[in-house]
Amino acid sequence: MIDLIIFLSLLALGYGAGTWAEKRHYRSIAKREMDMLNLPVVTLKSVAVPEHKIRSARMVYGSAVISVDYFKRILASLRNIFGGQVKSYESLIDRARREALLRMKVMAGDATVIVNVRIETSAVGKQSKRKNIGCLEAVAYGTALTVEE
Amino acid sequence: MKFTPRHPDANGNVNVSPTHPLKEFAILAGGLLAIVVGVYLALGLAVDLVVPHISMNLEKKLAGAFVERFAQTDETAETTRSIQALVDRLQARCASLPYTITVHVQPSPAVNAAALPGGHILVFSGLLAEMRSENELAFVLAHELGHFAHRDHLRGLGRAVVLMAASTMLFGADNSVSDMIGQGMVLTELSFSRKQETQADEFALEALYCLYGHVAGATAFFEKIPEAADPGRFGHYFASHPENRRRIRHLEDLTRARDYPLGDVTAMPADLVIPVAATK
Repeated sequence: MIDLIIFLSLLALGYGAGTWAEKRHYRSIAKREMDMLNLPVVTLKSVAVPEHKIRSARMVYGSAVISVDYFKRILASLRNIFGGQVKSYESLIDRARREALLRMKVMAGDATVIVNVRIETSAVGKQSKRKNIGCLEAVAYGTALTVEE
Repeated sequence: MKFTPRHPDANGNVNVSPTHPLKEFAILAGGLLAIVVGVYLALGLAVDLVVPHISMNLEKKLAGAFVERFAQTDETAETTRSIQALVDRLQARCASLPYTITVHVQPSPAVNAAALPGGHILVFSGLLAEMRSENELAFVLAHELGHFAHRDHLRGLGRAVVLMAASTMLFGADNSVSDMIGQGMVLTELSFSRKQETQADEFALEALYCLYGHVAGATAFFEKIPEAADPGRFGHYFASHPENRRRIRHLEDLTRARDYPLGDVTAMPADLVIPVAATK
């Protein structure tokens, strides 16, 4: 009985705290994306700018680690039984990738454009299965070019 | 090519499904629960079909696995002998069963008794401490014999095994929920249905009448436990439980219908020593 109470409390805590954190994070992501909308981020390897006009080219990167909450994990493990889209993890990956891109943009500072951008995702704490640590890391990297006017 | 700044969420967030997580949870958890309940009911039904075909020999073998745990200790030897004598008397005169019944006394505050496969009756010393007459004790023992007569103990255990398997599948073997069910599997008659309990009560009433010539003490044990008793220690004999009030009424009705007389109760056997653990 006590196990059930602990389980349900963790589930409620996970849902409450997780939803609150996610909403807050999304608000912050949307605001910062708006603020930095004028720094283009492209996957092209180069842009059509004459080479002598490029003042600097340097690597920029940003990474973010987002944890799974208890509720999402239980929801995903239920999904593991039946199969199908693991919808509860979609927002985590989305948040991690967008946060990584934003941090990369911050690192780029006053660059004109970031080219050849790649995003990679990896699981953190995969080996600590028994300790129930589950988070994912997204890293975004690219080349920031500063072009002379 | 002109760069047009555009917010990624301009068309809504395409990478996150709009389904509400609570809705998804309700569907998945509900589905899983429905499947587990379905499997439990189906296997329970299968147990009912299989039980009548289990031979005494096979039952003894099945029981061997866990009955060793209740090996007799010196502390309870005398008490066990005394209760065994009462059971033997019941069996010889009134409740002839194709079982060799073995009584085990467990020093434990639990006010309960249990029928285990292989003809083993487990009596907790907490129960003995509450007993005021031999008739009461005989009724409780005959009730357990009644479970053997109808082979309810196998059904109960069969369902418990099914529950255990389901819990192990869901939560893993090394889990407190599984442990809890594992303990319950041996110590309780949780899965005995109302009908099985009623049948065992009827069996016990007949046996009591047969042994003493009257049925005094049949409901005494149910009745004298105060309603305010600690609910955590409820055995299945307590009168404050609504189910037990129904059982008392049923026994009283049966006594009237069959004209069973009420006589004087016999005192507890003199050599019955209640193990220390019971008195706390």
